[in-house]
Amino acid sequence: MTVDSSSPPAWAEWVLLASLQSRDAETVTGDLLEEYRTHIAPSRGRRRADLWYATHALGFAWRRAGASVVLLTLAFLIRTAIDWRMPTADFHLRSEVSTFVSVGVFLLAGFQAGARSGSSPLGGIAGLIVALFALPLQLVGAAVLLAIWNDHATLAAIQASGGLGEVFSMPLMTVLPAAALGVIGGAAGAASRRLHPA
Amino acid sequence: MSDTLGTFEQAVMLAVVRLGDEAYGRAILHEVQARIGRDVAGGAVHATLDRLERKRLLSSRLEPGTPVRGGRARRYYRLRAAGARALDDARTTLDALWHGVRRPISSVLGGPT
Repeated sequence: MTVDSSSPPAWAEWVLLASLQSRDAETVTGDLLEEYRTHIAPSRGRRRADLWYATHALGFAWRRAGASVVLLTLAFLIRTAIDWRMPTADFHLRSEVSTFVSVGVFLLAGFQAGARSGSSPLGGIAGLIVALFALPLQLVGAAVLLAIWNDHATLAAIQASGGLGEVFSMPLMTVLPAAALGVIGGAAGAASRRLHPA
Repeated sequence: MSDTLGTFEQAVMLAVVRLGDEAYGRAILHEVQARIGRDVAGGAVHATLDRLERKRLLSSRLEPGTPVRGGRARRYYRLRAAGARALDDARTTLDALWHGVRRPISSVLGGPT
């Protein structure tokens, strides 16, 4: 049997670790590393083996983050639709609600990862995962809304609410705060794990 | 009666039975894929193993890692007595449901619909 001694991408291992319970971190990453080295890399080559590993890591991450991603995406799209279809001059309440939801989702993702793993940096990775999974969904969703509602009144409402630039840049602007909030949530989760060990 | 045992849970538990002493994460995944004839997400098998262990239908033990695994431990699964009973019950239920029904069902319907 040919064995490859190379290692999968470090970022994919971090994604995997952020998605696993601490009791499974060693065994699941070990299983994947063994298959990567004994079967995948020797038969497919390093680059495709890295892709294989990343796909598996992202699969685990999606199972863990899917509900948060859907919630974040829906919150963004509902806010966008309301701004476009129900114009207002005072966005204060709407901004507070959508900010509260986003911050809550990232803090919770970080908290859960911290509580699972006992590590606050992994909370940051978990927040990042949620933001990056949601990013394309939010952009495509906004584009679909724009394709449906492109009448003069809606376009005027879009301009009045900050313009299309803001709509399509907002999801991107949440990525770094997501990581920071994830770290904060992760620290709380790790502390809670120390206080209440399973 | 084990009405709480889903089809996928049965597939995972039967893979554990078939693999015997070699029932660990990736081996179970490959066994399930081979039996049901399609790709299955590793995360789905992992989540099911975790759930079955919490239901106390499976037990697990850790074995030391090898260099090819970067020294990381391997977790082996085994059927508990409650798991064996649950599988038996599931099979009994299925047999009772199919009793007296001619297979394949399409031959009973008498042609394409």
